[in-house]
Amino acid sequence: MRNETVLRMRCVAAMSVLIVLSGCGDSIREPEAVGGPAVMRRLTESQYRDTIASIFGADVAIPARFERGLRAEGLIAVGTSEAGMSPFSIEQYDAAALGVAAAIVSEKGRDKFVPCKPHTDMAFDAACAKRFVEVYGLRLFRRPLTSEESQRFVSMAQAGQQRLGDFYAGLEVTLAGMMVSAEFLLRIERTKPETDPSELRELDAWSKATRLSFFLTNAAPDAELLRAAGAGELDSKKGLRRHVDRLIGSPLFKPAVRAFFADMLQFDKFGDLAKDSVVYPAFSSTVAADAQEQTLRTITDLLIEQQGDYRDLFTTRQANLTRALGIVYRVPVPTRNGWEKSEFSVNRHRVGIQAHVAFLSLYSHPGRSSATLRGKAIREVFLCQEVPDPPPNVDFSAVQETANSKMPTARDRLEVHRTQPACAGCHKIMDPLGLTLENYDGLGTYRTVENETVIDASGSLDGIDFKTPEGLGQALHDHPETPRCLVERMYRYAVGRDTEMEERSYMDYLTHSFATHGFRVPELMRTIALSENFFAISAQGEKSEHEQVALRTGEGL
Amino acid sequence: MRLSVLTHFVSFSRCRDLRWLALLLAPLASGAEMTWIENGRAGFVVADIKYVLAGDAEKTGACQQGMTRNVEEIFTSTPQGKRRTGETDDAYAKRLQQAGTQLSTAPNGQNLCMNPEAGAPDLNFRTARFTNTAIDGIDIDGVESRVDAPTPRGCPHRDSIGKHGERGIDNQYSRVVGCMRAYQPTGQANGFAVEMLTGSWGILLSLEGVDDIRNDDSIEVGIFANADPIQLSPSRSPLAYATYAIDQDIRFRAKTKGRIKDGVLTTEPVNMLFHSVTNGLRFERPLQHARVQATISKDGSLSGYLAGYTPVEAMYDYQFGYRSGKNAKGELGPLGLRLGTGNGAARVLGYTCPGVYFALYEHADGDPDQNGRCTSISTQYSFSAIPAFVVDAETKSVNDKLEGKGDRREK
Repeated sequence: MRNETVLRMRCVAAMSVLIVLSGCGDSIREPEAVGGPAVMRRLTESQYRDTIASIFGADVAIPARFERGLRAEGLIAVGTSEAGMSPFSIEQYDAAALGVAAAIVSEKGRDKFVPCKPHTDMAFDAACAKRFVEVYGLRLFRRPLTSEESQRFVSMAQAGQQRLGDFYAGLEVTLAGMMVSAEFLLRIERTKPETDPSELRELDAWSKATRLSFFLTNAAPDAELLRAAGAGELDSKKGLRRHVDRLIGSPLFKPAVRAFFADMLQFDKFGDLAKDSVVYPAFSSTVAADAQEQTLRTITDLLIEQQGDYRDLFTTRQANLTRALGIVYRVPVPTRNGWEKSEFSVNRHRVGIQAHVAFLSLYSHPGRSSATLRGKAIREVFLCQEVPDPPPNVDFSAVQETANSKMPTARDRLEVHRTQPACAGCHKIMDPLGLTLENYDGLGTYRTVENETVIDASGSLDGIDFKTPEGLGQALHDHPETPRCLVERMYRYAVGRDTEMEERSYMDYLTHSFATHGFRVPELMRTIALSENFFAISAQGEKSEHEQVALRTGEGL
Repeated sequence: MRLSVLTHFVSFSRCRDLRWLALLLAPLASGAEMTWIENGRAGFVVADIKYVLAGDAEKTGACQQGMTRNVEEIFTSTPQGKRRTGETDDAYAKRLQQAGTQLSTAPNGQNLCMNPEAGAPDLNFRTARFTNTAIDGIDIDGVESRVDAPTPRGCPHRDSIGKHGERGIDNQYSRVVGCMRAYQPTGQANGFAVEMLTGSWGILLSLEGVDDIRNDDSIEVGIFANADPIQLSPSRSPLAYATYAIDQDIRFRAKTKGRIKDGVLTTEPVNMLFHSVTNGLRFERPLQHARVQATISKDGSLSGYLAGYTPVEAMYDYQFGYRSGKNAKGELGPLGLRLGTGNGAARVLGYTCPGVYFALYEHADGDPDQNGRCTSISTQYSFSAIPAFVVDAETKSVNDKLEGKGDRREK
């Protein structure tokens, strides 16, 4: 009951803010920047891979398995600023670095990637080594190397050459060394040196470029952005706008949007997803991969290609399908290999990404659907509402008895389960959502009966009643928390931390701006990237670099 | 790209724009429990198929004169074929091999599996002689045939009686193979569906114009070769509701009328043609004047019989002699592979090539030629099928690019 009341109050508050802000007209300005603490973020696997691809090309193999990311505030992107590095993780980074470095200086790769030719392969060419170190140091560290760093890596190349007897072997050693450096693996944010530490500070140009680039392209800054950072162009409104628009218009913007939504929808959990092959014979690794891809394609088609309203993700009938998915959705897919774009017809009962196989199968049990998991996920993923974990001594026997003829449907079983007082409160806010999705089995196939009993798919969301999954989609579309949640998630993703209490006005500004621009996500990302708060570091927010590196890596790298 | 869609059978003209698909799919959808029958259409993919046979000859007593033998067994039954005193294993094996080769060679030097007509009927070949053994299936020719009188469109033969007393069941093929050990219930010869499950070939069915899935006097029925590999679960079971394209070669597309009575589908006769693959050699599996009789279940599965007359030459080719096997490019397969497959099958499965060839003609009961000699043999398959989306779309394997091939369809 208490949770429900809190939720209702939040909804009312959110609506009030929107109404008040709307009254101000479209010319609302960004409130004074307050910023937050500087963070040190570890590259995610996709960022690591995209960065290597952007520097060396997509065909350079990365021979490593990455450690699973820690999720915080609903995002791995936030967890990357909180989690440490295990010895396994460092081993894998080392393997990846050695593999990439070997490919770059190989006989096949050196002509393309080494920017100079040594006098001979057998002797050390200091000038060429320095050139190599400075070119790739800039791209990998996302800033120019200091003279000490440059000298250290040149010396490393020389030592490698002397030990291994080959100039390129020396370059391989030093490139691998740069790739296991904290400066590459961690996004260490620095503020402008001239500002007073006791006052609000601003990221320096290189850290600005890094934030921008990872946010808008999911990869390290390209050469043009680094040039602009060096030239001070990112410190002017005009220069910043030019580069933000350039990045949003680049082909890398779509991977960035995909990376955000894959994180928000918690697709990393697919790595652990298992289904009972007797109950769901159609489930396979192909279905799991295609299901994720389907949802991400739907998102980018609607939000980027069509410049659509974010809220329409919950009501869209767009269907990107493969034959493997067609089996689960029970629709024909004439294209034998590849993707087919179409639309679910009205009587297919399939609206919104919450009715996609990705969402429905991820938030189910291996052998049965779960109204509770689905309801919890809707609250947490799409509305940013926290639902407490179940108490430790909860009795799940009633909900697990799927073959009990006295409780043929999930609604019946949950009814019994909710008689336990410890469970009732939370289930009251989860089940009315999840029960509407009981029209889909644990894999996501539509059904109207369970155990030969007609499924009652009625439900409600914060006072809005509906009887079908389509009704749930519309309720999510219309819920005032839906866009606000996305704004908060997006901003947290961008800065790699939770929002600060002092940033509430800024969040209201972003939410209003989002609404003013028709809930278009690219515009929201542009607004964030152009805002002063995005680059602001609060006065008490910065630990020393040494403190941060030590916290993350123990001994330091 | 040709994008003809049937859900379960909608023909569509050539177009390049995938947006057409949305228009096509829109009217086809409804609740999932009945997605296998929508707008009067239903599609199926055959998930299992095998010949209808009489059962264990030891129990039926159909092979009183013994079982059919292969060349090695024939030789060892002669005094010359007995092992000599002191003969080593290797020497005896070599002598058996030589004798087998000799028995597999015609007087003119031709291999008898490749040229069975160059040989003579095999006196060691045994066929099943049963009168009261129940064999299920369909009355293909529509008459209760007699051994002493020709049928209107065939040759004299004895019909079988079904397990529930059904009369007039035509299944001469079961008599030909009834005394082969490999065709007994535990034998390995009736497992040709394995190649279907590996994706080498398949069969699709479609129903159109269905007003009532339990009783409908007139519907359109399509029986096609599947152009796509069958979709299986991780435990290798065929999956329902997969999409399959029908073969682009019109010879592999049969359409006929049918009716449904009390949930049992029965079709009018039509000539059908399917693919068959053995040892990587590709064949055509024809079935003439063929009918389907199958029960439609609530869950959309279909089980019953597919029966017709198989031309003897084709039957011998794809099932016994493998003379005309082709490779994936449609060219005649390597001679060594065809020779090895035909002779190897005969030895492993226990028959001689001329023996089965002449027995097929001896028992042929359909399509008499101008001399009154029947040229096809009644053949019954039992099959089960599951719901599928049958589409008319050109499909290609991803491996086509690797093999440097373009359009693989037969013109």
